[in-house]
Amino acid sequence: MKNLLSLLLLVGTAMAKEDILAYPRAYWENSVTVWFWVAVAIYIIVAVPSIYFMVKYRYRPKENEEGAHIEGNTAIEIVWTVIPTIIVLFLGTYSFANFVKQRNAPEGALEIKVTAFMWGWEFEYPNGKKVYTFFNQVADPEKNIYLMPEKIDDSAKAYIPAGKPIKVYCTSRDVIHSFFVHEARVTEDCVPGRITKLWFQFNKPGEYWVFCREYCGTWHSRMASVLKVVSEDEFNKWLGGQEAQQTAPANEPAQPVQQ
Amino acid sequence: MAVAHVPPAGTWYGATLKEWVFTTDHKKIGMLYFITSLIFFIVAGLFGLIIRFEQSAPGIQLPGLFGQEGTDLYNYILTGHGAVMLLWWAVNVWMGGFANFLVPLMIGARDVAFPRLNAFSYWSFFGASLLVLLTLIPGNWIKMLWTGYAPYSMNDNAGPTSLYVLIVLLYGISSTGGSVNMITTIVSMRAKGIGWTKLNLFVHAIMAASLIQLFGVPSLMGSVILLFTDKYLGTNFYNPMLGGDPLLYQHLLWFYSHPVVYVMILPAFGVFSEVISTMSRKPIFGYISMALAIYAIAFVGFETWVHHMFVSGVPDWLRVLFSYTTLFVGVPTGIKIFNWVATLHKASIRYNTPMLFTFGGILMFLIGGLTGIPNAMVSIDLGISDSLFIVGHFHYVLGMALTFGAFSGIYYWYPKVTGRMYSEGLGKLSFWLMLIGANIMFFFQMYMGMVHGMPRRYPDYPPIPEWVQLMQIQTVGALIMTVAILLSLINWIKSLGGPKAEENPWKSPSLEWSMTTTPVGPNNFKKYPVEVPDDWHPYAYYKGYHTHI
Repeated sequence: MKNLLSLLLLVGTAMAKEDILAYPRAYWENSVTVWFWVAVAIYIIVAVPSIYFMVKYRYRPKENEEGAHIEGNTAIEIVWTVIPTIIVLFLGTYSFANFVKQRNAPEGALEIKVTAFMWGWEFEYPNGKKVYTFFNQVADPEKNIYLMPEKIDDSAKAYIPAGKPIKVYCTSRDVIHSFFVHEARVTEDCVPGRITKLWFQFNKPGEYWVFCREYCGTWHSRMASVLKVVSEDEFNKWLGGQEAQQTAPANEPAQPVQQ
Repeated sequence: MAVAHVPPAGTWYGATLKEWVFTTDHKKIGMLYFITSLIFFIVAGLFGLIIRFEQSAPGIQLPGLFGQEGTDLYNYILTGHGAVMLLWWAVNVWMGGFANFLVPLMIGARDVAFPRLNAFSYWSFFGASLLVLLTLIPGNWIKMLWTGYAPYSMNDNAGPTSLYVLIVLLYGISSTGGSVNMITTIVSMRAKGIGWTKLNLFVHAIMAASLIQLFGVPSLMGSVILLFTDKYLGTNFYNPMLGGDPLLYQHLLWFYSHPVVYVMILPAFGVFSEVISTMSRKPIFGYISMALAIYAIAFVGFETWVHHMFVSGVPDWLRVLFSYTTLFVGVPTGIKIFNWVATLHKASIRYNTPMLFTFGGILMFLIGGLTGIPNAMVSIDLGISDSLFIVGHFHYVLGMALTFGAFSGIYYWYPKVTGRMYSEGLGKLSFWLMLIGANIMFFFQMYMGMVHGMPRRYPDYPPIPEWVQLMQIQTVGALIMTVAILLSLINWIKSLGGPKAEENPWKSPSLEWSMTTTPVGPNNFKKYPVEVPDDWHPYAYYKGYHTHI
């Protein structure tokens, strides 16, 4: 039931601006809403006649032993070529318009460097402060399962100010990883030898997962990280409150396999 | 179960082991391909079940059974499931099995154009199959997934890259030989009177799929040869530390690996067309637009590969451009779906097992197609790339539509191949269970990916209650699907001793039904050379050709 409600919420009407949890999620939801209703409409247009025909024209002995000899109808075939073409152009253009907003960070964004490695993330802030997260920090060694964010040490979380756009420059030290924040609906690969970019903004304080979404080996599924979204004051205190260069945490990361 | 069944003398399958190994007969080679495909389908399906059980609970369960190697074992099983299902089942059940057996029969030829090349293609494929079996040995586990993305595949953590490259190369040699053979056969060996507008849509589909193979496979082979030289011979195509570019690998790989999904699905479309027309007793609606749509899909399919790389760091303008071209594939695909629906209008529909599997396949393909739109709309893809939504989507298209098509085809041509009739009851039960199980499994998979954002290729995930619940629902679906597939397998094996089939049980005017014996004789046709009347058409039910020629 809860699942159904969230599905309805997902495709429901646009939310009031102050309710928007995160960007660029708001633009993403616009595209999803349009796609969802187009898809439902097409499904009904195809499924209803087919089910009707399936029932109405089933084989009945001595009544309709043979089907009618109809080879086609050029007019109707042109109609169902032209209309889908228009729908396709509309969907592509609508997605293009949202994509521009999803890809280009607003002015005055906070810029962060993220470097991915097997298997963890390094966040570097403008003043040189670094935060590391590793798979073996979020996994519970006793039960061999993930820790939920509330049990993770705050020193292993990347702090983010609420209500401010964050621009991330992403790269990788070894293989391809992918930086993914579900609540903001944004993904971008971290490619060795390249710098890729993405941006997001959280409006509500809280803790949000970052997952790796490009397969990267043994501990791919443990390559999680936690974003701690706090008020801007608290963020500034955290950023300046410690030494600029944080040392690696006590438990050492797994050694990345040498190439 | 008594399956020891002595074939009547003179049929295509009564032969000694030596004759099977050295055969150049397209029917025997088709069956060799088909049985190899089916065996690997079962193995890869079992791998899929292991994946499902592993994901049914957070944490990693396999280490409990296999110590520290557990996660690596999972990654190996994931690689095996993907690679084998795609290359051994989805491609070769059509291009090797169905196409070899049916194309010469449908165009009135006695064999394919190059029978020895055909045998060579099979034995290369067989060699690749043996190499795949070698990966079962611990230490030989390939853990780079079927895509084998560089630079991960150059890392020792990924398993034996050389083995992966050799498998792909042998497979590629087999595919290239097979596609050359099919194209030549269809172009030059059609019987008198069978023009391009009188080919079965299944033959058009194989023609288009073979063209894709011919143009695409070299790109795949090139990508893995560069991978091989990078890892073992010190070249630097993909290694960014030495000036290479990992995205080059992705471009080369997807230039083949996106079009190849049409190699997998176009023959399924062909089967849908054959079965719908036959079981409706009606010519296919809009034959010409159906045939053109097949070639349009094959052509446009080559302009869409970047949608696999929307978040890989390619320039923004490229993403938008390929967003449009990818969406455009929907137009010819839509034409096919609308024409199938229109074929049902004023029909006389027989509800037997092949027809049910075809209906199921089309409705599932419709869902798969509509859920393909968000992957093509680049703004949505930013939020769902590499999530379970993608996995659910392609399992609707390739897991369900394709397998439903293949099962439909197996039931439809079962009498032609074996001379026996399958069990309708068991077949229908198998269909309904498969429809229910697969929908439970893959619908919730897509839902989980889009709403909850679960990334793909995870053995492990945080113990979020909704995630666990959704994963367990999927496992129930997978179990129902397993039962359904087992029922069909039992049906096919048991029915080898079943009742004798009629000569043309579906009353089809298509050549493979109307002009050959059931089962097919060693020389294919009752009369040779084959000649058809001027007004003959494979879908001309209204003219009664199924009794006249």
